[in-house]
Amino acid sequence: MTRLVAWFSAAAVAAAALVGPLAARPAAADVKVGIAFALSGPIAVYGTPQRNGVQLAAREINARGGINGEKLVLVIEDEQGKKEEGINVFKKLIFQDKVLAIVGPTLSNSAFAADPIANAAKVPVLGVSNTASGITDIGPYIFRNSITEADILPVVIRTVKEKRGMKKVAVMYGNDDAFTKSGYEVFRQALADNKIEVLTTETFAKGDVDFSAQLTKIRSLEPDAIVVSALAEEAANIMLQARQLGIPDSVPFIGGNGFNNPKLFEIAGKAAEGTFVGGPWSIEDRSPKNVAFVKAYTEAYGQPPDQFAAQAYDGLHIVAAAIERARTTSDREKVREALLNLKGFVGATGPFEFKPNRDAKQDGKVFIVKGGKFTLFTD
Amino acid sequence: MVEWLAAFWQTYNTLVYLLFTHAILALSIYITLNTGLLSVGNAAFAGIGAYTSALLTMKLDLPFPVCLAAGSAAAGLVGLAIGLPVLRLSGVYLALATLAFGEVIRVVFLNLEVTGGAMGLNGIPPKTELWHLVLACAALIYFFERLRRSRLGRTLDAIREDEVAARVMGIDVVYHKNLVFVLGAMLAGLAGGFNAHFTFFISPREYGFGPAVDILAFAVLGGTGSYWGPILGSTILTLLPELLRFLADFRGMVTGLVLFLVIVYLPNGLLEVPDVVRRMLRRGAKP
Amino acid sequence: MLAQQLANGIALGSVYALFALGFTLVFGVLEVINLSQGAIAMFGAFFALAAVTALGIGIYPAMALAVAGAAILGVLIDRLALAPLRARKAPHLAPMIATIGLTIFLTSLAQGLFGAQVSRFPIGLVPIRIFEVGPFQVTQLQLVIVAIAAALMVALLLLLGRTRLGTAVRAVAESPRAAALLGIDVERIYLLTAAVTGALGGAAGVLIGLSFNAISPFMGEPILLKGIAVVILGGMGDPKGAMVGGVLLGLVEVLSVAYLSSDLRDAIAFGLLFLILVVRPQGLFGRRQARKA
Repeated sequence: MTRLVAWFSAAAVAAAALVGPLAARPAAADVKVGIAFALSGPIAVYGTPQRNGVQLAAREINARGGINGEKLVLVIEDEQGKKEEGINVFKKLIFQDKVLAIVGPTLSNSAFAADPIANAAKVPVLGVSNTASGITDIGPYIFRNSITEADILPVVIRTVKEKRGMKKVAVMYGNDDAFTKSGYEVFRQALADNKIEVLTTETFAKGDVDFSAQLTKIRSLEPDAIVVSALAEEAANIMLQARQLGIPDSVPFIGGNGFNNPKLFEIAGKAAEGTFVGGPWSIEDRSPKNVAFVKAYTEAYGQPPDQFAAQAYDGLHIVAAAIERARTTSDREKVREALLNLKGFVGATGPFEFKPNRDAKQDGKVFIVKGGKFTLFTD
Repeated sequence: MVEWLAAFWQTYNTLVYLLFTHAILALSIYITLNTGLLSVGNAAFAGIGAYTSALLTMKLDLPFPVCLAAGSAAAGLVGLAIGLPVLRLSGVYLALATLAFGEVIRVVFLNLEVTGGAMGLNGIPPKTELWHLVLACAALIYFFERLRRSRLGRTLDAIREDEVAARVMGIDVVYHKNLVFVLGAMLAGLAGGFNAHFTFFISPREYGFGPAVDILAFAVLGGTGSYWGPILGSTILTLLPELLRFLADFRGMVTGLVLFLVIVYLPNGLLEVPDVVRRMLRRGAKP
Repeated sequence: MLAQQLANGIALGSVYALFALGFTLVFGVLEVINLSQGAIAMFGAFFALAAVTALGIGIYPAMALAVAGAAILGVLIDRLALAPLRARKAPHLAPMIATIGLTIFLTSLAQGLFGAQVSRFPIGLVPIRIFEVGPFQVTQLQLVIVAIAAALMVALLLLLGRTRLGTAVRAVAESPRAAALLGIDVERIYLLTAAVTGALGGAAGVLIGLSFNAISPFMGEPILLKGIAVVILGGMGDPKGAMVGGVLLGLVEVLSVAYLSSDLRDAIAFGLLFLILVVRPQGLFGRRQARKA
C-alpha cells in the first residue's frame, strides 16, 4: 500500500508539472499564432527549415510594426511527425495558448490526425507542406498553401513529352510514405493521359539506401526517362546509383515537389544534371520578393532556404495578411473568412490565393537542373 | 476551479486517453512475459485490431462495442494461427520470430488496398470516451488481480519458473502458452481499436519495430513483478515526453537513458524503488 | 541482367554479412542480443565522415579511425550496460532491453550532434570507375566493399580459429565457468569481444555510408533489422553462418526485386526469416544446440 501512495504522490508531482504552464498565461493583446512542426526525429529535416521560415517572417512582420499595431507572437511546438503528438500539440495551442490560427503540421499524416481537432474547435489551420489529397476535405477551417502533386506533375509530364518526345518511361516510388505514394498516383494518371508507355514500376521503402536491384532492371528496359516519386535524399541516391550502374546521362529523371531541395545537388552532384523537376518555387526565381527572401534567410541561418522554408515563410505572411484584414486579435471566424477572401497576395513563391475548396491556387513551374541549379525549363 | 479543470481536460484529454491505451498495451505484453514468453509482436496485433475496428466503423457503421470486439477477436485469431508454430520457440528465438511476424504484418498493411496502403485510413470517427477506457482498465485490473490468486495464475507462474518441471507436474504447457499468447494479442488488438477511434487516423508505420520496442519498454521500465509495473512504466513513458517538451531535440536521450539506467541498476523495474529506498534507509539508520 | 543482379546482391550481402558478424559474435560469446549494434554502425559512419571532412584525410585512414572509435564505443557499451548485468546474472531479456535504451539514447545524441538530415561522403572519395568483368559491370566501390568485408571476415575467422586468443574466446563461448577454471581471464575475453564487435559494426557502418551515400542518425534501425535476419538465417552465434546468411539475404532481396516485385521485398525477407525460425531455429546451416538459448 505504501508503494501505491509513493506512486500517487509521484503522479501528482507530474500532473503539477503539466499544469504549471496553464497558470502562467500572459494577458496581452498580442496576436498569437500557433506553429506545429516536426522539430525532432527523422521528420525534423523538413520541420526545421519550416520553423526558420516562419520565424523569419515573424521578425519581418514585427519589424514593420506588427499586425494592426499588435505584436505577432509565435507559439512554436514540436509535433515530432507523430499523429498523437500532432493532436496533443494542436490541443495545447488551441485550448491552452488560445492561438488565433495554426500553421502546420509538417506531415500529411499528422494533419489527418490533428486537423479535425482544430476544425471542431473552429480554429483556422494553414498547412504549408501537406500535399496528400483529402487534407482540406477535413473541414471548412482547414487551408493549405502547398500546391499538391496533382497541380504540378501533369504539367511536368506534358512539358517533357512535348519538348523531348518522351515515349516510354520507368517509374520508381516510395510505397510506404503518403507523400511519395500519392505523387505516384498522380504520375500514373498523367502518364496514361499523355499516352506514355510505362515499362516497369518499381518501389522502395523509407530508409532504403540500395536501389541497384531496381535500377539494374530498369537499365535493361532502356526507358526514355525515369519518373521518380521520392524525397530529395532518396532521389539523389537513386540518381547516383543509376549513373554508377551505367544508365546513360541521356536518360533524365523526372520528379515533383520532393526533388525541390538543394540536398539533391549536395548528394547527387553531377548525377542530377538534366533532371526535370516540378514545383511551386525555385531558389533561382528572380522575382524581388523571392530574392529578398533568399537573401534574408541565408543571412539569418547561414544556409540557403529550401521549398519547405519558402512555403512556411509565405504561409505565415498569408496568415498575417488575413489577420490584418480581419482586424482582430481574437475572432477566429473573421480570420477564416479573411483567408478565404484573400486576394492579391504575392510572396516568395509568387502570386497566391485560395481556391473555394481552400486548396492552393498557384501555377506549377517546370525546372531543369543545369550546372547544379534549378533553372526554369524553357527550350 | 471547474473552469480550470475544463481547460485542462480540453488540452490534455488525448494524453489521458493515451495513458489508458498504453496501459492496456503494457498489460498485453505483461501477460506473456509473466508466463516467461518474450513476444514483441504486440504492435502488429494492435495494428490488426486498429484496422479491423476502424474499417468496420467506417464501412459498415456497426456499433462501437461490436467493432472493438471484432478488432480484438481478429488480433486473437491471428495470434492463435501463428502461436502454434511460433510458441515452440523459446527465449530470444521467440522474440525474433515475433519481431519478424510484426514486420510482415506491417508490409501487409502497406500493400493492401483496403488498409489504404501508405496513406493509411483517415477520417475515422472519434468514438472512444473516457469511461470506456476507465471501464476497460478497471476490468483488466480486476482480471489480473483475480488471476494472480487463481489456479491458472499459479500454473502460469510455474511455467515461467521452470517449464520442464511444470510439464512433469502434468501441466499442459503448450495449451497455456497459447492461451496467454492469444490473450495478449486480444488485449493489444483492443488497445489498437481504442486508439484508432480517438486519433482520426492510422497508418502502417505506427505498428512497426519502433512501437513494438516501446511496448516492451513499458513493461520492463515498470517491472514485471506485478501487473502494476507495466501500468506504471507505460504511464511514465507516456508522460515523460510531455514533461520534457522543453528539452526539444534531446528528449529522446532522456527517455533512452532512463530505460537503460533502470534495466542496469533496477533489474526489477521501478516497482522496486520503494524497496531499494527502504533498504537504504535501514542501512543508513543502523550505524 | 541476372549476372548483374547477382553482382549487386553479393555487394549488398557482403555489407549485411559484415554487420551481422559482429552481431552474431556477441551472441556466440555473451549470449546477448546486442540491439545497439545498429547505433554503433551509425556512429562508425559519422566518425569516418567527421574524419574526412574535418581532418581532410582519405577514406582509408578515416575508416581506420572510425573502426577504432566504434571499438571504443563497443567497449563502453559493454562496460556500462552489459558487464553490470553479467555480474548480476540477469536473464537474457535484460541486456537486450538495456541495449534498446542505449540505441534510443545514441540515436537522439547523434541527432543532437549532427542534425537529422542525411549526409554523405564527399563525391569521388572512392574514384568512380566501372569495370567490365565478363557479363558483370562492377564499380570500384563495389569491389572495395566486397574486398574490405571479405578481408575483415577472414581476419576474424583466423583470429577465432588459429590463435590462442581465438581458442580462449571459443572456450568462453562454450562455457564461461569451465574457461575460468582453465585459467582464462573471462572478463578480458568479454572486453575483447566487445571491441571486435564494435569495430566490425563501425566498419559495416562506414561501408554502408560509402555504398549508399546516406549517413543519418536513423540509418541504424533498417540495418539492424537486416542484421537480425541474417543472423537467424545463418544460425545464432555462428560467424560462418552469418557470412553465408548475409550474402544469401542480399541475393534474396535483389532477386525478389528483379523477378517478383519490389513491393514484396521486405515481406519476402521477413517471411523467410519467420519460416526459418519456425522450421529450423538453429539456422540454415547450424547444428541443433544441446543447450537452450
